[in-house]
Amino acid sequence: MRPDAELRLPVDPAFVSVLRATAVSMAARLNFTVDDIEDLRMAVSEAAGLVLPEQPAESSDLLCEFYFGTDKMSVRVSARSESPAPVDQSDFAWQVLSALTVDASTVIESDTLAVTFSVQSTATS
Amino acid sequence: MTTENDHSPPESPLAAVKRTSAALFAVLDDPAQSSRHDVVRAELIELHLPLVDHCARRFRSRGEPFEDLVQVGTIGLIKSVDRFDTGRGVEFSTYATPTIIGEIKRHFRDKGWAIRVPRRLQELRMQITATTAELTQSLGRSPTPTELAASIGCTMEEVVEGLESGNAYSTLSLDAGDSSDDGAFTMLDTMGVEDDGLENVELRESLKPLLAALPAREKNILMLRFFKNMTQSQIATEVGVSQMHVSRLLSRTLDHLREALSESP
Repeated sequence: MRPDAELRLPVDPAFVSVLRATAVSMAARLNFTVDDIEDLRMAVSEAAGLVLPEQPAESSDLLCEFYFGTDKMSVRVSARSESPAPVDQSDFAWQVLSALTVDASTVIESDTLAVTFSVQSTATS
Repeated sequence: MTTENDHSPPESPLAAVKRTSAALFAVLDDPAQSSRHDVVRAELIELHLPLVDHCARRFRSRGEPFEDLVQVGTIGLIKSVDRFDTGRGVEFSTYATPTIIGEIKRHFRDKGWAIRVPRRLQELRMQITATTAELTQSLGRSPTPTELAASIGCTMEEVVEGLESGNAYSTLSLDAGDSSDDGAFTMLDTMGVEDDGLENVELRESLKPLLAALPAREKNILMLRFFKNMTQSQIATEVGVSQMHVSRLLSRTLDHLREALSESP
């Protein structure tokens, strides 16, 4: 499935704010409430923090894919690294992420560590 | 800075101000001249305005408009003029400076934002906060930016911008309590500390060779007790000795391990 929006950023924590702002700006157009947007903002930061590698692979990017559903946005944040370490589920960042979102999951595919999650809009409930 | 008892002829501007100030305060203190009080008070305030200017200048690079700082500083000056007691024997400027600076600081505390945000956004942010509260009440859930924009009468873009700026409003002290909680946890508490388990790693590593060196029966008893969580009686049945013996063996083995551990560097 092709993402509705894709953002490719340098593997550098300094660019996480760009990712955050983009995610927030998109959610604002998609019938999310202010609270949902705050959750998304935090979740995106945590996800980026989890996948940002200490030793990025050659020509690695922080890749963020956004899938828009009905009252729902799914996000996949990933980065390639020399030796991707699995996300520690007891990690504070992971706990925050999984508490704020639905279906938070993490996967390692060869040299890529990816975190996916969805945020549900509460605007219609 | 020159003082009055230097070579007298060229009186420094500061000394002139001091002299004028003292003279004016003398009038202010004189009940016989009470009809002039208002005029003299105004004169005193004007005379010392440069002091406010000077104080305000110290805070100029902090983001608040300089004029605003002068304005609040002037309020501090007016308060100082009204409260100054000539009988104390201190210079008026000595008395007024902390008051003026205090007033400016209070202004920063009340009005200043932790991170500088344009005034337009500040106002928008306040509107957003107020409208969010209203709409949350009427909708029974938090509003969407579109709903906020419609209610405030601005564009959705502006709402998004305002929401962004909201995060710059205040910085959090590390010691500040988490207001949503019972206040027991501060930001500092949630930050990383050295893991207690780290020390155990070392112990575990030192224990390994010692455990390996134990006789088979002792090793077995240790394992049954601490890894399979069996009681001493259960172990006794399993190994085929009395419970008392298991107890003795266990404590002897543990003593031995403890001793060996403390001997190893």
